[in-house]
Parts: sequence; structure tokens; C-alpha cells
Amino acid sequence: MSLGKLAERLLHLVPVLLGVSVIVFLMMALTPGDPVDIMIGDQNVTPEQEQAMREDLGLDLPVHRQFFVFLGNAVQGDFGTSFYHRRPVLDVIVERLPATIELSLVALIIALVTAIPLGVLAAIRRNSILDKMATVGSLLGVSLPGFWFGILLLMLFAVHLQLLPVSGRIGFSSEIEPITHFLLIDTLLRGRPDAFWDALKHILLPAITLGLPMTAILMRVTRTSMLEVMRQDYIVFAEAKGLKRGRILFRHALKNALIPTVSVAAIETGSLLGGNMIVETVFGWPGLGRLVVESVFLRNYPLVQAAVLFYAVTYVLLNFIADILYTTLNPRVKL
Amino acid sequence: MVRVRRVLFATAAALGLSLSAAQASELRVGFTLDAMTLDPANHRNRETETIIRNMYDGLVTRDGDMKVVPQIAESFEMVSPTVYDFRIREGVTFHDGSSLTAEDVRFTFERLTAEGAMGDGQTSPRKSLLGPVESVEVRDGNTVRITLSEPWPILPAMLPFQEVVSKAFVEKVGTQGLATQANGTGPFKLVDWRKGDAIIMERFEDYYGGAPSIEPVGEACVERAIFKIIPESASRVAALLAGDVDIINELPPFSVEQVKSNPGTDVMTVNGTRSFFVAMNMEGDLFSDPRVRRAAAHAIDKDLIIDRILGGNAARIEGILSPDAFAASTDLPVYEYDPEKARALLAEAGYPDGVEITMDTVGAYKDIAEAVASLLTKGGFNTRVAVGEGAQMTQKWRTKGGPKSGDMYFTSWGNGSLDPFDIFTPTHRTNDRGNSAGYANPEVDRLLDAAAIEPDTQKRAALYREAEQIVNGDLPYVYLWVPQDIYGVSKRLTGWRPSADSRINLHDACVD
Repeated sequence: MSLGKLAERLLHLVPVLLGVSVIVFLMMALTPGDPVDIMIGDQNVTPEQEQAMREDLGLDLPVHRQFFVFLGNAVQGDFGTSFYHRRPVLDVIVERLPATIELSLVALIIALVTAIPLGVLAAIRRNSILDKMATVGSLLGVSLPGFWFGILLLMLFAVHLQLLPVSGRIGFSSEIEPITHFLLIDTLLRGRPDAFWDALKHILLPAITLGLPMTAILMRVTRTSMLEVMRQDYIVFAEAKGLKRGRILFRHALKNALIPTVSVAAIETGSLLGGNMIVETVFGWPGLGRLVVESVFLRNYPLVQAAVLFYAVTYVLLNFIADILYTTLNPRVKL
Repeated sequence: MVRVRRVLFATAAALGLSLSAAQASELRVGFTLDAMTLDPANHRNRETETIIRNMYDGLVTRDGDMKVVPQIAESFEMVSPTVYDFRIREGVTFHDGSSLTAEDVRFTFERLTAEGAMGDGQTSPRKSLLGPVESVEVRDGNTVRITLSEPWPILPAMLPFQEVVSKAFVEKVGTQGLATQANGTGPFKLVDWRKGDAIIMERFEDYYGGAPSIEPVGEACVERAIFKIIPESASRVAALLAGDVDIINELPPFSVEQVKSNPGTDVMTVNGTRSFFVAMNMEGDLFSDPRVRRAAAHAIDKDLIIDRILGGNAARIEGILSPDAFAASTDLPVYEYDPEKARALLAEAGYPDGVEITMDTVGAYKDIAEAVASLLTKGGFNTRVAVGEGAQMTQKWRTKGGPKSGDMYFTSWGNGSLDPFDIFTPTHRTNDRGNSAGYANPEVDRLLDAAAIEPDTQKRAALYREAEQIVNGDLPYVYLWVPQDIYGVSKRLTGWRPSADSRINLHDACVD
């Protein structure tokens, strides 16, 4: 892909972000519920006091003016102040981001290392018991609700077997000075294998829960595309040439079969963001997803707007990466 | 491979040892929501206050019987209905080692009440919690005088919600710094705030001891106290059962048996401050008829629901006030459960075949609302439950005088101050914030307004009791119950008991 094309794609981000801003703003404005009312809660206040709070949050302006104030500030990188945290929303979001990214990456790794071998196996042993089990398993994986599956894992591994912790990112005796804010990396950089092990135990259940639907999808994609490739002439030719089966599978078939898997994985990584909201709530994971859920209920408009914009950017970028990967891996396709 | 395993085992064992060593005097609370900020003046959130209150003390606090008692103040008195004097205790130190003075107290309240005092033109969102506070001044060195613009007898009841900050510290770090740093006078000082995950605190060795009237006086029992944030109830229960935490709040009633039957854990309850009731839309044709409202009251078997669904963990009410609240009447007429009478009253009102109605509520109350609906149905109100999200329901029902649609609304109102001012007035005064029934009675308005500024405690109580009698007759709501707050606790916990104002005070809590 040429630099010009790249720049063109990046330019596409602008209308997308603008559109997303308008939609989010309108949706928050149209959703019933008033942040000031929620904030005051069950207290007796005078209408004047209520009005003063509204003015303080900038909610006394008409919606269209609120939007332009937001847009004007956002262009300069200022996404406003969180109604509840009373700090710049960007600060609040950035604090929570590493936890979410780390969890998503581990979920992605778990999904890839389980889905690809299983998919290949299911394809080469087509219609075997293993293939059928994998099919049923992937159906379950896509359909099990995350909050249910997560709590099930929790009850089994944390409460009954007491093998893994219930919630959080790391234990209280594993205090480490952050470097990258990714605990699995920081613990190693600080030379603390015990803390690394602790962090790994904490991330395991949430990452499995988060990665499950993705594992299921990737396995199906790998299986289908592997079957497709195995029917190609060059594989038949390789077999006729008397090449070893292992060499055919890994050198010739898998390399091509993985192209769709990789691009689906890149796109599906975006959907991990949605899954995060549930998984982080169940496992008390201190990430962005949970923060957004809390903020929606509290009608913390500035935080929700900034977070949704962030999700939109991430999603667009991931799609973009998927395209690049696809063309790089498959020279037949040109963007 | 064997070697790898050995290393893993060794690390795991080392980890296990270090964990149990740290647990020697470490108390963990599994808590629903993280603090939004650590600045005592810059939030409007109950959970935030619960956490902050372990690091910051207030002028006054509440004892186990919810009586307001001096804490940083040595004593206080009402000089006149609009003037209160607080004598400040000596020997109170902040976590940074500096001594607390009357000037710190004055600064704290000015920061809370003055327009724009938070910096950047911002006013504290807690300002309205201090009602008509007009000025705060230091008199003769260690007395702070609070002057009100009009009489406001609930000032002492509202003061436990405010914590005292250090003037020098706030000037040093600014409002921005205070959001993430803590320098209070409370029994615990901040070690680390892992945002969204946990707040780790350690015992403040130079603590002045706390309110002298609340035993034991002295420094906190445990060396470390941790609020661990676990929003999901099922996960919070799991953490308690697994021994990860020692106290959990908001234990769901359906998990009570599970926690009780687990060998290492138990359940503790305390009368809450939240009154539950069903609002009847008095602006609608149906419920504008008092006979129909009485019919609804007779159709609901409160005792049955308290017993079967709430596990007995609730007190029934005949008016809006909790039995523990100031001025709560004990002699209000009771609308006994009588479905026959309900149907007869409906027939008398012109509905011999009953009526079809919808009862709105929020997701968290759905199960109980369904039970109430089935009782109403037996009493002639064919009731369908409609669930909406909290903020949406508030907008629909608490219209502050705007037009109202809908039949019934199953809802609640909290009363942390345990004073009628914060619950009776907003739910019953004409067009007030919480008046979801659309109730309007000038006589009740007059009584509530008079009680709000009546400095004489006896007379004030009498005004509220008179209003309760009228309201009990008018019946804008079917008053239901005040549930107990339910906590799950580990059996290694001693010295702690839940508090009716839903604060979690860890000063006296010990772990074996």
C-alpha cells in the first residue's frame, strides 16, 4: 500500500469520528435521565441550588450549544471534565486503559493459540468425533453469555478449588512500581517472578471468559478455510509429488489458510472491547469497560462521549490493520 | 519440564507464605464502587464518602445509635436558631504530621460553601448538603462559628457528611492534587489507590483516637485496611466465600442462606434508611379517588413479602419515615391486608370488575414489584410490571410539577440523615423533587415548611407527626417497608458492626 493510500485511509477517520460524536451526543441527550438529578440523589435541595449545579456542569446550555462547546474543545484535545471524578476525562480514561488493553491482548493470545490448532485438527480430521466436538464447542462458545460463563468459572476455580483469585489485577502483597502499566510486563522488568505469577493468575479467568466467543469464531474460520485450501490444486499436486503430510499441512496449506483467520482476528479484536464491559464487571477488573458502564448509569456525559470516540477510533484502526494484514499476507489482493 | 514445575511450585509456595504473613492484620472490604475522587469536597457520591471517611474525620460523627456526637469538635452548641458554635479539639494531627487548627475547619467549610471556592470558577457539588450556611468564622482561637441565613435545625444531622481538610495541604497540592492524594485526620492513611481496583490504607499511628464517646478510643485495630472494588454481587459473594475479603456490602437477600451456611462466614444486618413505597398517580383519573388508593393499600400484604422475599430483613412502615428516624410516629393507623375490602372499595368507586394497571419500577426491584403486583391483582387491580432504567423512571415520575403519566410506581427514597427534612419534604411537598404521586395538600406543605425551620426539637417533632397523620389518611403512597442493609462478614472479623447510615467505619474492626 502506498503512502498516499495510507493517508487517504487515515483521512476517512475524520468523517467517521465526526459522525460518531454527533450520534453519541444525540443519544446521550435523548436518553431520559438527568445527571444533576442522579447526583443529588435523595436529598432535599432548593430549585436554585439545583440550577447552580446544572450551571456548574455546563448543562444549562441548549443541547446544540453543548455540542459545539464539546466539539470545539475536543478538536484541541480537551474532552471535558468528568462530572463525578471532577478531573479531565482523558486522565481518567488513560488510567484505566492499560488494564483493558492487557486483558484484551491476553484474551486474543488465548483465542489464537487454542483456535488455530483446534481448527486445523477439525479440518484434517473432518467428520471425526473431534471435529464434531469442536463444532459443538464453538457453538457453545459463541452462545454462552459472558457474565454467566464468567461466574461459573469463578465459582469453580476461585471458590471451590481455590486455585485462582476472584477479582482484581494483582494481589495486595505484590506491589510493584509501574513502568509500562502492563503488569505482566512490569513484574518481569522489575525482576519479580512471584508477582508475575500472581498477575497471571489474576488475568487467566477474565481473559478466558473474554476470549471464548472469539476462540469459537476463529476456530470455525480456520477450519473452513483449511478445508478450502486442502481442495486446491497445488495441495493435490504436492500430495501427488509425495511430499510428507506434515510439510504439506504446515508449509503449504496452513500458511494460506490463515489469511482469513488473521484478518477476522483483527476485526474481532474490536468486539473484545464490547465484551470487556461485562467481563470487567464480573471480575472486578479495573479497566475502561467497567468505567464506561458506571458512567452510562450515572449519565456522566463527558466520559461516555470520550470513551465512545476512543472505541470508534480503535475499531476503525483495527479494520485498517486487518486490511493491511490481508494484503501483506495475500499479494493477490491490492487495496 | 520437571524443573519448570519445581520453580513454579516454589514461587507459588513463597507467594502463599507472603500472603498469609500480610494477612496477619489486614482487613479487606469487598465494595461495590470505587471512589470517584479522594477530595472530600469534590464529589456527590455515597460510596466515595464511605471510603474517604476512613481517612478523613469530620467535625461530628454518628455513634452506633445514630446519635450525632462530637469528633474533631470537642463540643458544639446552638447559640441561636441561625448560629452554631463548635469548639475544636486540641492535639488532632493530619497524616503529614501538621496540627489541625480552627482555621483548617473554617477553610474546609468555606471551600464547601463559597461560590467558586474549588478553583477554576467551580463550586463544590456538596454545597447544597449544607443548605443555608452563610458564613464560617474563627472566634477566640479554637471556636468555629457557623452562621445560617435562616433557621435550619438539621445542620448537626448534615455535618457528619463533611470531612475536614488541611488548609496548608490544599493550598500546596491544589484541588487537582487533592483528587488523588489524601491528608486527613482519620484513623487510616492512604498507601496506594489502584484506580478501579482497590484503595489500600494503613493505620495512622498518631491518630488522636476519634470521638471520645464511641468506644474504643485510640488508633485503629488493624495495620492495613483495603477497599477492594467488586461491582458484581455474585463475584462479591464469591470473594467472601473464598476468603479474599472480610466484609462485603449489599449482600443480595437470595445469597443470605449461602453465606450463613458456609463455615467461615456470617451475615450481619442493620436497619437501613431507605423507605420503599408505591406511588399512585393522583393526577390520573383512577387514583385521584381516595377509595381506589385505600383499596390498593388493603390489597398489599406487606408482612408476607417481608417474610418470604426479604427473608424477614425489613421493618414495615405506615408512613414515609423509618422507625429509627427523628419524629417517626408509632401510632399511625394501619391498613390491614384485606383483599375483600380492596375489591369492595374498588366496586364502590365504580370498578366492580376491577381495573387494569401498570406498575413501573427499575430492574433491581423487579422481583419484589412482581410479588406486589400479584397481590394487587388478587385485590382487583390487574397489575402488569414494567421495568425501566433508573434515570428514565426518575424523569417519568419525579416531574417536579410537570405533567405525569402512568398508574403506579414502585420506588424508594433514602434518608441518610435520618431526618424527615430529607425524605418527607421531597416526597410530599407540592411539586417537590421526589413527589412521584403528584400529591398536593397545602396544609401538609405548611407543616413541612414550618418544621424545616423550627429550632425547638419537641415542636418540630410535633409538626412532622401532625403531617404524618394527614398523609396517612390522604394516602398518596402505599408505604411498604424499610429493608435492612445486609452485609456478609468473615468469622475472623470482630469489633465491627454495620451502621444504619451505610458508612463502613473500619476504626474498630479487628481480624484474628
